[in-house]
Amino acid sequence: MDEAPRGLPRRRLLQLGLGAGALLAVGGGLAWLWRSGWHDGRLTAPGRAIFAAVARVVLEGSLSSEPAAVARHLAALDTTIAGLSPAARAELSQLLGLLSVGPGRQWLAGLAPDWPEASVIELEAALRRMRLDDSVLRQQAYHALRDLSNAAFYAEPAHWPLIGYPGPTPIA
Amino acid sequence: MTAANDLYRDGLARGWQVLGGRHEGARPLPARLDCDVAIVGSGAGAGISAELLARAGLSVVIVEEGPLKTSRDFRQLERDAYPQLYQESAARKTADKAVTILQGRCVGGSTTVNWTSCFRTPDETLAYWQRRFGLADCTPQALAPWFEQAERRLGIEPWRVAPNENNDLLARGAAKLGIAAATIQRNVKQCWNLGSCGLGCPTNAKQSMLVTTIPAALERGARLLVETRAQAFELDGDRIAALEAVPVEPDGRASAAPGVRIVAKHYVLAAGAIHSPALLMRSGAPDPHGLLGTRTFLHPVVISAALFDQKVEGWAGAPQTVYSDHFLGVDPIDGPIGYKLEAPPLHPVLSATTLAGYGLEQAALLKQFPNIHALLALLRDGFHADAPGGRVTLRGDGSPLLDYPLTAFVMDGARRALLSMAEIQFAAGAREVRPVHELARGYRSWTEARAEIAALPMKPLLTRVVSAHVMGGCAMAGDAVRGVVRPDGLHWQIGNLSVHDGSIFPTSVGTNPQLSIYGLVARLASGLAQRLGGRVEALA
Repeated sequence: MDEAPRGLPRRRLLQLGLGAGALLAVGGGLAWLWRSGWHDGRLTAPGRAIFAAVARVVLEGSLSSEPAAVARHLAALDTTIAGLSPAARAELSQLLGLLSVGPGRQWLAGLAPDWPEASVIELEAALRRMRLDDSVLRQQAYHALRDLSNAAFYAEPAHWPLIGYPGPTPIA
Repeated sequence: MTAANDLYRDGLARGWQVLGGRHEGARPLPARLDCDVAIVGSGAGAGISAELLARAGLSVVIVEEGPLKTSRDFRQLERDAYPQLYQESAARKTADKAVTILQGRCVGGSTTVNWTSCFRTPDETLAYWQRRFGLADCTPQALAPWFEQAERRLGIEPWRVAPNENNDLLARGAAKLGIAAATIQRNVKQCWNLGSCGLGCPTNAKQSMLVTTIPAALERGARLLVETRAQAFELDGDRIAALEAVPVEPDGRASAAPGVRIVAKHYVLAAGAIHSPALLMRSGAPDPHGLLGTRTFLHPVVISAALFDQKVEGWAGAPQTVYSDHFLGVDPIDGPIGYKLEAPPLHPVLSATTLAGYGLEQAALLKQFPNIHALLALLRDGFHADAPGGRVTLRGDGSPLLDYPLTAFVMDGARRALLSMAEIQFAAGAREVRPVHELARGYRSWTEARAEIAALPMKPLLTRVVSAHVMGGCAMAGDAVRGVVRPDGLHWQIGNLSVHDGSIFPTSVGTNPQLSIYGLVARLASGLAQRLGGRVEALA
């Protein structure tokens, strides 16, 4: 689990585009090649499932588990991700595509159940593993998922009371 | 000046020529523009150049990739400011994603969003440039009149208002330890002390290029192209024949609309230290010594958070008003890497994404957000063989990518910086100090912190590293073997091209770079105005 598929320089994976995808497909089945995490200006269904699961851990105790609150968070993520550069969005889309299929999810995140079925304990273990792993790719994946989740959540004025931030000083 | 007074609304009504973009009253790009000087970028170097060249009576076209956003757009909200005013929504990364780079992308460039810290280029940095890069004219005495001119023009003075608690804690902690700290000079006039400098100044108090030099140039007939990317120079032998520019979407994608061909007598490249080398690369510019895009410096920054019993409210009041250069002077400039200490502003998104951790632990920490104090240390890269900076390359789509390896030498400085900051924070009365590192915890005493920080693996991605200062990549030097541009700013190989931005610094500056750019570029642009037959007028 700790090794990238043979011959694949892990450090470069996210920059390699389809070439890396083809290599990975050898070990991981071809299905994920046809999935992406971002399409037409918003997260795809697999992308949404991953970020909804990540939020259960990263924003535990802060984001309500009510479906409407999760939907608002995912919409805020759409806005946040739309502001990234095309190159960064393409990499993120590729990462989410990889994480959305079983072999990719297991290899990168070490997560056996699919994202929606995973328990908070399993999800937390997956994030912790990526965060502290020696693999640069896993650390990059952790930071991308975690930073974007936080950015989307704390940009919302409705969430500022949780942290005691009063908002900007009025100038009128 | 109040928030209700929007310079651009009035200026556009008076006939300022702003072309392209989506702002109110936007006018379409023409197919072709002719001018004396085309300037790429509208940040620190571009703004100073634009005003001086326009004052000299030359016709100027300014090409800015970002949008025109002005005081009435600045609502002090991170969710507006990052996507509208910053490169890549303030989430630009180096190639291995280990450094997050804050860089402006709007009219005014980074000066529209910076934290208003002004320092002249340190004498020892200039001495190093003289010694190692043949820049004999870069003496403090020779540059002093140019710094003075910029300081007068931009209202640069020591901040006379009491520092906010975030900064005062740096002053108090340093004083307890006998470490010298001082007041930062800021480029503001009638500042409201809001603390929102990084989100665009809503009162036009910050004397950024957006409200000073660019309006001065527009007033003298300069044309400003916005949401328009300088794609490539068309080279004809050792001269530039034209600049091809294309309209872009808000996220940076090229739009389907037709581009503009700009034909100028002279071209000034001032797109910042990532985009200036990238534009030359896209243009196939000569680079006989393989220097272009190399030695790109970041002042890599590490951060130490702390919790205090009292409220700190790091979002309120002017950011960065106290600094300490003590740790730049411990070793020689070319010895173990030194660092400058400052106290950055704290806003929810920047804080939640920069601090480490997640889940209940993160929620518990952020619940104490008003009591969080933060210090940053910017590491002075570029003065030692083991701190050679990074390298700009082009992605397949032509966009630039900076590869910046964080060497063991640099990360040794990062560890010393985390130690220094923790000690200062405990001296100031912190009840807990938390270096921003994935393996760090909240430490309750200096003794505990010292032992734990000494044992942290100082690796990229585990250690949070950020940067707001991009420099180098088109180094200035006394000969073509060591530099991309000459001491007068002209390109060593291309006759009608000058580079006027932070990319010409042959090392990092060792301090917040805006005044270094203003001063040096004031000299270069005045020389250029003379060379092009214009009148030489001072900025102020």
